[in-house]
Amino acid sequence: MKNRTLKTLTLLTAMVLPVSAMAKADLVIATDAPPKAMNPHAYSSDANLSYMSNFFDGLLQRKAPEGKLGPALAEKWQRVDALTWKFELRKGVKYHNGNDFNAADVKFTFERMKDPKYSKLLNIANSIASIETPDDYTVIFKTKKPVPWFAETMHQNFIVDKESTEKIDDGEYNTRAMGTGAYKFVEWIKGSYIRMTANEDYWEGAPKYKNVDILPITEESTRFAALAGKQVDIVNGVPVTLFDRVKAMPHVEIISQAARRAIYMGIGNTVGTPFEDIRVRQAIAHAINEKEIIEKIMRGQATMANQIPDVPTVGYDASIKRLDYDPVKSKQLLADAGYPDGFEITIAGPNDRYVNDEKICEAVAKYLAKVGLKVKLDVKPKSIFFDELTSNKYHFYLIGWFDGSFDFGRSAEKLLHTPDKDKGMGTYNGAAYSNSEIDSLLIASSSIIDRAEREKALQEINKKSVADVAWIPLHYQQDIFAVVKGKGIKYQPRSDRWIVAKEIK
Amino acid sequence: MTTYLAKRLLQGVIVLILVSMVCFAMFRFTGDPVVMLAGKDATYEEREQIRVAYGLDRPVYAQYFSFLKGAMQGDFGRSYVSQIDALDTILERFPATFELAVTAMCISFVLGVGLGVIVSISPNGVISRMIMAGSLVGISIPTFLIGILLVMFFSVYLDILPSFGRGDTVQIGFWRTGLLTLSGWQHILLPALTLSGYQLAVLIRLTRAGMRETLSEEYIKTAWAKGLSPAKVILKHALRNVMIPVVTIAGLSFGELIAFSIVTETIFQWPGMGNLLLTSIFETDQPIIVTYIMLAAFIILSINILVDLLYALLNPRIRYE
Repeated sequence: MKNRTLKTLTLLTAMVLPVSAMAKADLVIATDAPPKAMNPHAYSSDANLSYMSNFFDGLLQRKAPEGKLGPALAEKWQRVDALTWKFELRKGVKYHNGNDFNAADVKFTFERMKDPKYSKLLNIANSIASIETPDDYTVIFKTKKPVPWFAETMHQNFIVDKESTEKIDDGEYNTRAMGTGAYKFVEWIKGSYIRMTANEDYWEGAPKYKNVDILPITEESTRFAALAGKQVDIVNGVPVTLFDRVKAMPHVEIISQAARRAIYMGIGNTVGTPFEDIRVRQAIAHAINEKEIIEKIMRGQATMANQIPDVPTVGYDASIKRLDYDPVKSKQLLADAGYPDGFEITIAGPNDRYVNDEKICEAVAKYLAKVGLKVKLDVKPKSIFFDELTSNKYHFYLIGWFDGSFDFGRSAEKLLHTPDKDKGMGTYNGAAYSNSEIDSLLIASSSIIDRAEREKALQEINKKSVADVAWIPLHYQQDIFAVVKGKGIKYQPRSDRWIVAKEIK
Repeated sequence: MTTYLAKRLLQGVIVLILVSMVCFAMFRFTGDPVVMLAGKDATYEEREQIRVAYGLDRPVYAQYFSFLKGAMQGDFGRSYVSQIDALDTILERFPATFELAVTAMCISFVLGVGLGVIVSISPNGVISRMIMAGSLVGISIPTFLIGILLVMFFSVYLDILPSFGRGDTVQIGFWRTGLLTLSGWQHILLPALTLSGYQLAVLIRLTRAGMRETLSEEYIKTAWAKGLSPAKVILKHALRNVMIPVVTIAGLSFGELIAFSIVTETIFQWPGMGNLLLTSIFETDQPIIVTYIMLAAFIILSINILVDLLYALLNPRIRYE
């Protein structure tokens, strides 16, 4: 009897299996964020761009690990003058549907990117005044005002096929991806996986792994279990809290590398508030014991930051020092500024955005209470936090930042420049810090064409911002990746955390 | 009967409208979706551009009425995040959730009633006491802990069952099922057990209480005296009467299994509707949230009506006039 049921069951499975047992993936990658849409311009978050980088190419690309800019669909590029950029395109590249890639696609792509219906990459698209295509393989962009980082964003503006995209633009443009990339889109089962297969005719040569599955697993403990149960080959985003446990697994190699994101405390200098006095801002910086935060809260998985940009960013200055932890000096500064008994301060921050964001806010609250301030904590979900941040409701808040364009000027326009809705400046300057000297330096820097000269100008701004305590840098996050041993997988994680499957050997 | 049904349906529609109103009122406190959509590079001006493109510049009541108008015609709008039809997005996830809920339901019903009967026959036996203690554990331990414990034991320690996902699936028409493959069954076991935990415990206790009461009734004594076999007395005469409240409770909580499997789905990365809802809440994807909540309300309402009707079938004394 039992035997018979077993037989029937086997027979049933045998009947069904051929349908489902398609090519098993050669490589299974788990990541922490699901894709939002299959439209390459739908979202500017790195989580979404990461998926898209496999199906599409930009005019340029960045290679692991440090993200040096190199040619992709464009072979050469040049800033002709302050407003003009020239790209010479690669010949003989084909889309997955067989169409040829040419300058008309580039023009179409950047025009499509201006439409908020299809695109959230409005920033770079709106800075373009005109696009000229003198021949099929040359594109000349003219920007409205000087955009020194224009080429630096070209790794994330993915080029789409004009002919097929126009056709589907009101239908399924969000559910299927089709570009020139190293992988062809096979299937997106929402909530389960993205399946892709190698593009054998890829212009850079066919990638090593033929069938690749990317699984978004949002829950930390589930990602851990998937790794423990050897259900995945690579995990992007091993939770800091489980670092020691993962390290102890014999079948797993763990890679921990500096992330680009700096976590810092934003602070204002609004007239009429205690923060107006630089001594108060210095006192707050001196009160925070960042070393303890890294050891206790981040479990060593972070490196101390002296400034906001990270090492590869244009504008990083190795000579900048941070204000040391010194509670005695902090109290003295507060007394000098006329607040011997402290004042009321609210620490704002998100609780679901950065690694241990809420705990860091709590720690900062504790340190500030020690030097005599009356601290209130205002920690909330990111959807509400960023809403309030962009309406400048805060005086003191925790935020993290990195700029995909590796240009401090671009970050500073958003974080440091006095908020100005008409000019599009200071969008994330949550406490409305304002320094007219920095503002004018910043505006002047964007017209400098020579890269070395521009770097010097940005370093100057960077130095001034730290000296004036426009922000209090805390640390750079550490990204942790895990690779299952014994399969010969060579994985070099990228600093932007993109999973570019063609780079995995 | 018909008037009763019509009345219930009318009530249902009113409840659905109220639910949608509560959702829209709630959205005022869940943050601005435009900030999340626009991303970190957008300037103020670009955010306003997006706000207009999504119709979010209009007052709340105008947004609500255009939603209601669309909803009447079955159009619940598009997800802000993916720009895919909201109802389609949710319904695509429905089979996963439904299969999980049905499997959980079967587990809890068969085990719950079975164990309940065993316990009621020898209430003071060692096994019975263990089962009852176990059911207490099932009621008091939160779902996420049961889930994590199961994963730790079966996936990490014993390494015999997968810890997440749905395994291989087969597409039949619009329905994507995992119940036709071996890997699908392996994948559904742990989440279904987790989801059934609470209900299982409730059903055991309910069956036991009902059985103990019924077994002391006069007509059962008569049945024993007639010399009927224990199986007939217990299963046919006693259990049938106990089933009425059991079916009611099981049916009512089936709706909840479907609508609120969020925790279980999140732990097991189950690609169902609950998982989608959680992601959407984090992303302030209002069209998905409101459509989900209305769909959940709709399912629970329909099941309530169905259970009431089923009740009348099981118990001929009940009539809806």
